[in-house]
Formats: sequence, C-alpha cells, structure tokens
Amino acid sequence: MIAFENVTKIYNVKGVKKVILDDASYRFADKKNVALMGHNGAGKSTMMRMVAGIELPTSGRVRRTEKVSWPMGFARGFNGLMTGVENVRFVSRVYGCHTESVLEQVQEFAELGKSLALPIQTYSSGMKARLAFGLSLAISFECYLIDEITAVGDRRFKKKSEQALKDKIKNARVVMISHSEKTIKDYCDCGVFAYGSKLYHYDDVNELLKDYRKFC
Amino acid sequence: MFYSIWLQIRVIAALTLRETRMTFGTSHSGYFWAVFQPIFSVSFLMTLFYLIGRQSPFGTSLALFFATAVLTLEFYNKLSVSLMRAFTTNKSLLSYPMIKEPDTLFARLSLIACTFIVINVIFYSGLLVVGLGQLPAHPERLIYAFLTTCLLGFGVGSINAILYQKNQAWQHIEKIFARPLFFLSGVFYIPSTMPPEAIAVLKWNPLLHVVEWTREGFYSNYRSDVLNIAYPLGLGAALVIIAMFAERITRKQRV
Repeated sequence: MIAFENVTKIYNVKGVKKVILDDASYRFADKKNVALMGHNGAGKSTMMRMVAGIELPTSGRVRRTEKVSWPMGFARGFNGLMTGVENVRFVSRVYGCHTESVLEQVQEFAELGKSLALPIQTYSSGMKARLAFGLSLAISFECYLIDEITAVGDRRFKKKSEQALKDKIKNARVVMISHSEKTIKDYCDCGVFAYGSKLYHYDDVNELLKDYRKFC
Repeated sequence: MFYSIWLQIRVIAALTLRETRMTFGTSHSGYFWAVFQPIFSVSFLMTLFYLIGRQSPFGTSLALFFATAVLTLEFYNKLSVSLMRAFTTNKSLLSYPMIKEPDTLFARLSLIACTFIVINVIFYSGLLVVGLGQLPAHPERLIYAFLTTCLLGFGVGSINAILYQKNQAWQHIEKIFARPLFFLSGVFYIPSTMPPEAIAVLKWNPLLHVVEWTREGFYSNYRSDVLNIAYPLGLGAALVIIAMFAERITRKQRV
C-alpha cells in the first residue's frame, strides 16, 4: 500500500513560497499501474520523491508498506569515488539482497564490461543511467517509480530496458510520470492528476488523458 | 520489531563498510596509514620530550604517562571532527529511504572506534615490547574509559554535525573550544597535584576525568582526587540524547 494522508508540501526558496500539495489525501490503488500526470512544475517529481521516501512532506504522512524503488534513471545515490561494483554491493547490502547475484545480474544487463571496476566519476551520464536502471531491476522491488522512462540510453538499450521492465511488471507494479500519451496507455491501468495543489483520481486512463489535454 | 532492528543493523553495517572504503582509499596501504599515522605522530611527540630530558610525572615511563592522555584525546578529536561532516558528505545517501542521518553517524562511530581499538592495542603492546610499558592493572577500567570517550565524542560530534550543516562557520568556532583541550586534559601533569584553584576549573573538562580513569586502569597505585565517574558518563549520555532529539526535530529543515 502507498498512501498520502493529509499531505502538505510547501517549498520556501529565497522567499518564494510554492505549494506543491495542500492537505491532499490519496491512496494509490493496490497492485495497479498508476499514471501520475500534471503540467510542468505541478510537483510530480516531488511527489514521486515523497513516495520513494527521499523527501519528507511538510506536514502529514506518507504510508508505504511495499518495497518501493528509487525514481528510475536517477543516479544521485551513487558515490563518484567508488567503483561501479562497490556501489552495486553497497546498495544491495542496504536492501538486504544477495550481493553477488545482484552484481551478476547488473553485469549482464547494464553491459558495462570492464568499466564496472572503475570509479563512477569516470562514467558518462548514459553509463550511469544504465547502471542505475540495471540495479533497480536486479533488486526486486514491488513498486517501480518511473520518471520519464524515455530519457535513458541509446536505441538498442532503450528497447532492452522496455522489454525488461514489461517482464518485471508481471510481478510488480509501476507508478509512472510521463507526458507521452502512448506510454501511459501502454503501461497504466489508472491514474492521478495533479492540479492546483490537489490530487484527482481516475479509474480510466482515457478519462485522465482527456482532462490532461484540456488543462495542460 | 525484529525486522526493523535487523534492518537497522544491516544498514549500519553496509554504511560502515562504505565509510571504510571512503576513508582509507582503494589501496591496502590506506588501512596501514589510518592506524599508523596517529601512532607515528604520538611517538614523534614522545621522542621530542625524551630528547628534552623530561621526567615522567608518574611511574617510570614518560611514554606510558603521555599515551594514556594523548591517545584518549586523539580518539575524542577524531570522533568530534569526522562526525561533524557526516551529514554534508553523505547527503546523496538519503536517496535510499531506509538510510536516515543518524545511521551515518553510527557508521562513522563504529569505524573510528574499531580503528582506535587497533591503535591502542598496537601502541601499548609496542611500549611493552620496547620496555616502556606495563600491563594494565585494571583492564576493565580501560574499557570503561574507552566507552565513555565514545559517548562523549559521539555526543559532541553529532551536535557538531547538526550545527555544521546549519552553518558551516561552526567548524571554526568548534576549533576554538577544541584547541585548549590538550593543555586542560592532564597530558603533562598529574591533575591531583595541581593547586585547588586550578582543579576547580580543570574538573569541568570531562576528558580530564576519562584520562584519569585510563590512568587508574593502567597504574595499580594511581589515585585520582579529581576523577568522578558520574560526570563524564552523565554528560556524555545527556549530549547524545540532546543530539538525537535535535537531529529528529531539525530533519525536515535539512533535507
């Protein structure tokens, strides 16, 4: 279960106050693939970070009983001075996975070859993204958070990632941010629309897309 | 309940391994330097005093008398300074939801404590080998004193971490307080032999008590009039509690 309970999130940067969520309660439908939509700057990524547990709400609670991934394609948690292997080992230890089998899967999926033994700071952003994506697939999450899936990798890798993700979804679910109607239709069963610091639920993705077109 | 304790242990263990890797670098010589750098610097200091021809204030070995104070101070300083940067250098780790800021503090504490156990064992055995040391008369007191230093260093270090993240200028202010400790902790003298006016001031330094405790552990006939076990223990515990509360209260402002 993932649920927002009376969540308020306010950013106060340099005197500019920005209300992302105002006393919003929302329960992400269990075992369903949920689309998260809204206009640019509505706070979709912030909400995703709150779901992931990276960011705390200003007030209210985020309840989470599933094993939720970090937002995919996100490589900020890596330490640049440590090698790919060391970073992978660290993350799998923290998540309580079997270190070597995770490492094996990452090696196979990310196709980084010998670079895996080099410090992350020598990686290109594409390589980092591959590693992060491979790692999040290797650690079996119950819920994958995907922020604009299309951003990762070259064409061949993109295809491979798509296939791998579709395989994963058979046993897990996604919460997805995307501006692409096709991607949303491809992956999601229901959706939530972020508008004016509130959240609106849609059982039907087509209804969501209709409103999305109207307001954004 | 058991699961969350297990999770906590797992996270701290993973972080400790990572800290080890970060502080010592990739090479195995990194471990060597981490242990021997303090040993060499203390030895160098002692050699200087031997050359000057200083007599030991207590017992026959000047080296042992110094070591009881200097190693304790080094341990405390290391804790208070490296914990100070625990939040700022580990910010990226908070992207993993099960890692909370205090875990980074605990990880640093366990790494530094382990390092200093090794340093202490090597140093005191080394003194014994070259004939400047002796076996401790009350080994258990050494352990108590070591643990109390952990408590004090952890408490001060954690508060440093919170203040440092609020305002980086804290690192300079902290130094002002930390510098005189070398002179106030009985490195060169027996505190009990100081004039009462001096003792009245010195006894407020918790590290002086820990140093005295260590000496009572080593020498069978060292009697300290200053030592009051309750003071460093109580202060250490209070600091840790304050630090943990302050951390929790300020967590939202920090992210």
